Amino acid sequence: MTATKRITIKATRFDPDKDEKPRLQTYEIPFSDDSMVVLDALNYIKGHVDGSLSYRWSCRMGICGSCGMMVDGVPKLTCNAFLRDYWPRPITVEPLNNFPVIRDLVIDMDDFMHKLKAIKPWVIRKQPVPLGGGAFVQTTAQIDEFRQFSQCINCMLCYAACPVYGLNNEFLGPAAIALARRYNVDSRDEGPGQRLPVLADAEGVWECSFVGECSVVCPKGVDPAKAIQQTKLDTTMRFVLPFGNRD
Amino acid sequence: MPRGWWTRRSNYFWYIVREFTSLPLALWLLWFLVEIRRAQDGPSGYHPHSSLGFVIFSVIVLLFALYHSVTFLSLAGAILHFNVADRPIPSQLIVLSQFAAWAAASVVVGFVLIYFAR
Repeated sequence: MTATKRITIKATRFDPDKDEKPRLQTYEIPFSDDSMVVLDALNYIKGHVDGSLSYRWSCRMGICGSCGMMVDGVPKLTCNAFLRDYWPRPITVEPLNNFPVIRDLVIDMDDFMHKLKAIKPWVIRKQPVPLGGGAFVQTTAQIDEFRQFSQCINCMLCYAACPVYGLNNEFLGPAAIALARRYNVDSRDEGPGQRLPVLADAEGVWECSFVGECSVVCPKGVDPAKAIQQTKLDTTMRFVLPFGNRD
Repeated sequence: MPRGWWTRRSNYFWYIVREFTSLPLALWLLWFLVEIRRAQDGPSGYHPHSSLGFVIFSVIVLLFALYHSVTFLSLAGAILHFNVADRPIPSQLIVLSQFAAWAAASVVVGFVLIYFAR
């Protein structure tokens, strides 16, 4: 019989009522299965070692976007970070960078939610089409224009990776701009003019200096850096070209 | 953000290097304007600045300019987006076209400078 491997997890603990600042607490847990991910490790700690550890999670399969944390300093979905890739080294799990911490590994996402709402992430029509008005027909090429940007799951890893957002959290940020791009290039949408004031604002696309790390850490293969640069070009064209602001 | 954040990941480091290269480049261009001002009285009274320190500085700035240009043009594939016959042009082709345009512009500028300097 082989002994079960063990792995060390260092997790941030922070109780705003008791602690002045976050600290790391070390847990040693069994690493019994190569398919175990960091989220499994946190669930083991919560279930068997310390029930007070707080963190967000839901689907456990890279869809809901709620289990994003810093794993060894890199923003990752913890359901997609395998322990086997770190063992036998200890793993440090911290809350996402650049956000206020509510407790332990839970961040305050209000800022992102406000920004998300500001870019109106839905199909805008000047004249609403009644349900009986038939389907919006799109070609494959038209869908390909926005497909990759529609994969965003709002996990906010890109915000944690963005030093521009870290230095100035007024910046609209990668995911919000990628989602604005997703609707702006959708052939059914007629709302680019309504999103323009937010996107072209000083804290909009022009705040980005193209670090590119947002696209590197995205777990869904979205390229927010590309969305931002293309939106810069679009906003410039709308300003420079005659009738550019006409929708 | 903690001080020294840009040393934590290689992408951050190379981003800062990319941004920093524009500073010595701007200084060199300012000096270039001074040289143009000094040359306004014609070739008889003009003696180009050719100290060893300035030559070394210019070589370093040239390397910075090349690095900045290469990184900038390499990003063009992410920025420019064209469709031909309803199909997007591959980003690699866009990047290649930028480098080709850069090479062509360098040849033209080099030719003009050398031809009129004779």
